[in-house]
Amino acid sequence: MEQNTPRKVALIASCLLNQNAKVCEGARYPALVSPVVEALRSRGYLLQQLPCPELAFAGVRRWWAVYEQYDTPAYRAHCRRLAQAIAPLIEQYLRRGDEVILIGLDGSPSTGVRFTSSKPDWGGRPNRPEDDWDVVPRRGVWIEELEAELARRGLPPVPATGWALDMGRFDEAGARRDLEEFLDSRESAAGSRGDDSVP
Amino acid sequence: MNGDARGWRMALVPDALVNPQDPRTAAFPDVLRILEASNYGVLQLPPPGEHSLLLAVIADQVAEYAHHGYAVVAIGVHGEPGNGLHWRRLAPLLRHRGVALPPRHLIRPAVDAAIERQQLAAFLVDYDLPVEEQSRWRV
Repeated sequence: MEQNTPRKVALIASCLLNQNAKVCEGARYPALVSPVVEALRSRGYLLQQLPCPELAFAGVRRWWAVYEQYDTPAYRAHCRRLAQAIAPLIEQYLRRGDEVILIGLDGSPSTGVRFTSSKPDWGGRPNRPEDDWDVVPRRGVWIEELEAELARRGLPPVPATGWALDMGRFDEAGARRDLEEFLDSRESAAGSRGDDSVP
Repeated sequence: MNGDARGWRMALVPDALVNPQDPRTAAFPDVLRILEASNYGVLQLPPPGEHSLLLAVIADQVAEYAHHGYAVVAIGVHGEPGNGLHWRRLAPLLRHRGVALPPRHLIRPAVDAAIERQQLAAFLVDYDLPVEEQSRWRV
């Protein structure tokens, strides 16, 4: 590949390459989320794994949590540190003219893109036997902070979607269809523009 | 863990093996496919360059895994600086966090990809934590 040829780069949630990052009982695959990896690689995307904010903050044995429980100054400061760690790489991609997209994890309190989990009254004794959280249309805390860091650097918004893993009942076929529609709409848009510029 | 599919093993992998682009690394075995077949997750290292904060963040994550029953290995590229793993920076970061250095397997550019594939797969199958360590955490 030519040194300066624009590339296609997908920023992907940590757990899409490593399901060990998931909260206990949340791993649906042993290792990689292969439908995501295949959909991206078959369309020529390079993969750039994002750090997992929850893992490094609350640990691998963390309790399940919703957006409101992670919406704290300390967790946001932690997410900003992670954003500052990965943003220089993302900035390099964007400044050299690469097409950059983001694939998060819908339903996640941290990495949700289209949807996050919400339950303002969660707290105290961790005894929620039923899946009684709500799914609401907003970014997770980590994605909010990552996008804010990119904006601080004067970078354009990165087109984003989420793999719908944490939406309650996991529908792999539906998640795959959503992702492929998003990716193919990018292809169509790039084709009609005749370039790979980030909108 | 009820209904949980995690494989409890993962590999540190250079960017050049996650995203083989140049003709040399494109001739390597498809490391992601081998890792998936072996039930290993991926911790991607950044491309060459100065990434001190990102390496510290990655080391934090490795420490968290290594201290809680997860098996971590490293797959490098023979002949690359730091084996493509930023090893001279990463190794002290791991030691500082009390992590035993992960066993390393190196892919050799000059060797036939089929042989390298077999050797990597054998390395991955053979490695795991001692049974008593597994049974302490993997419930």
